[in-house]
Amino acid sequence: MLQTVDARQHGAELSKSPTVAEDDEAALIVRAQQSDPQAFERLYRRHIDRVYGLCLRMTGERGEAEDCAQEAFIQAWRKLDKFRGESAFSTWMHRIAVNAVLGRMRKSKREHDRIQVAAERETTVPQALADNGELRDLAAAVDRLPPGARHVFVLYAVYGYSHEEASNMLGIAVGTSKAQMHRARRLLSEALDREGCGT
Amino acid sequence: MSADNEDRIVERAAGLARDIAPERDLWPGIEAAITAAPQRYRRRSWFAQAAAAVLLVGASSGITYVAVKNDEPAVAIAPDLLFEKTSFAAYELGPDFQDARSRLAVRLEGELERMSPETRKAVEDNLALIRAAIVDINAALETEPHNVLLQELLVRTYREELDLMRRVGGLTQEVMNRNYGSRNDI
Repeated sequence: MLQTVDARQHGAELSKSPTVAEDDEAALIVRAQQSDPQAFERLYRRHIDRVYGLCLRMTGERGEAEDCAQEAFIQAWRKLDKFRGESAFSTWMHRIAVNAVLGRMRKSKREHDRIQVAAERETTVPQALADNGELRDLAAAVDRLPPGARHVFVLYAVYGYSHEEASNMLGIAVGTSKAQMHRARRLLSEALDREGCGT
Repeated sequence: MSADNEDRIVERAAGLARDIAPERDLWPGIEAAITAAPQRYRRRSWFAQAAAAVLLVGASSGITYVAVKNDEPAVAIAPDLLFEKTSFAAYELGPDFQDARSRLAVRLEGELERMSPETRKAVEDNLALIRAAIVDINAALETEPHNVLLQELLVRTYREELDLMRRVGGLTQEVMNRNYGSRNDI
């Protein structure tokens, strides 16, 4: 049975006990699907850190990540009726966020590689600040990877998606995902060796 | 370098933070966009009803119509027409836009007077929704002036307002043509 059916049953049952419903993501999704912005805001509060984290890791630039995260939630709102619960809501949000990042990067490419320029301009890698000290060198090195390798590495190594899932999200072949991962590992190893950080 | 090194990098990467809080609350921008969007859809629905009503009234009762020439200069700005900030980092709504908006608003005022009360109310309700959205988006832009999504939404909303005013003008023109022949015959 699809999760959305469960969600709707939950919604119907839990509407009688709002205190339980408030903590129930499925009920929030059903309410949001019925155009309830407050329910959607609660979903936003639950997922924004993970979505923003993904956008930041993928773009390497705070402003772009903020725009991508906002765009992802706006798109999610518009597509909520298509969410059928085959995957977790967080995974569904991640797919939309990845699309938002890729869409903005394509647009930015036409606008003088704005994301890359902005990323190079940043002297402090913002997402590195979220990591504990011994991982900051790795976070900074990940940020300097070429986009293709960085996207696969972030999805596979940081967020734990399989190559099948990552390639599906990125719209590339599984073999390409594996090749980009191999490339990312090599580039990161070289970069960290060069900086004397080792592993 | 070695495969072991690379493996260790992948293992370490699993320890990187996955959840990172943005430095500012992104919800206001999202809220402005998602609450403005349904209004647009409703507006189209209302507009379709208004358009049908205009044609129906025109065809059945033959409303009196005084032609407004396309090149007639704007003599006044409709009293409820708001001119909010129309220039942002990436967009600028120039004097041509403002001039077109003024002209259409003036023409619309005249056209509204010739409509039945029901049709007029439907059109006015639609315009009020659009203009409320413009005010809301401008308010959101006050706090997030560089939010590209909001800027794009604002420009789209202004365009929709123009489009509605043009379409109302076009529909009344069509009704007029049905009842009195081509415009050149008037």
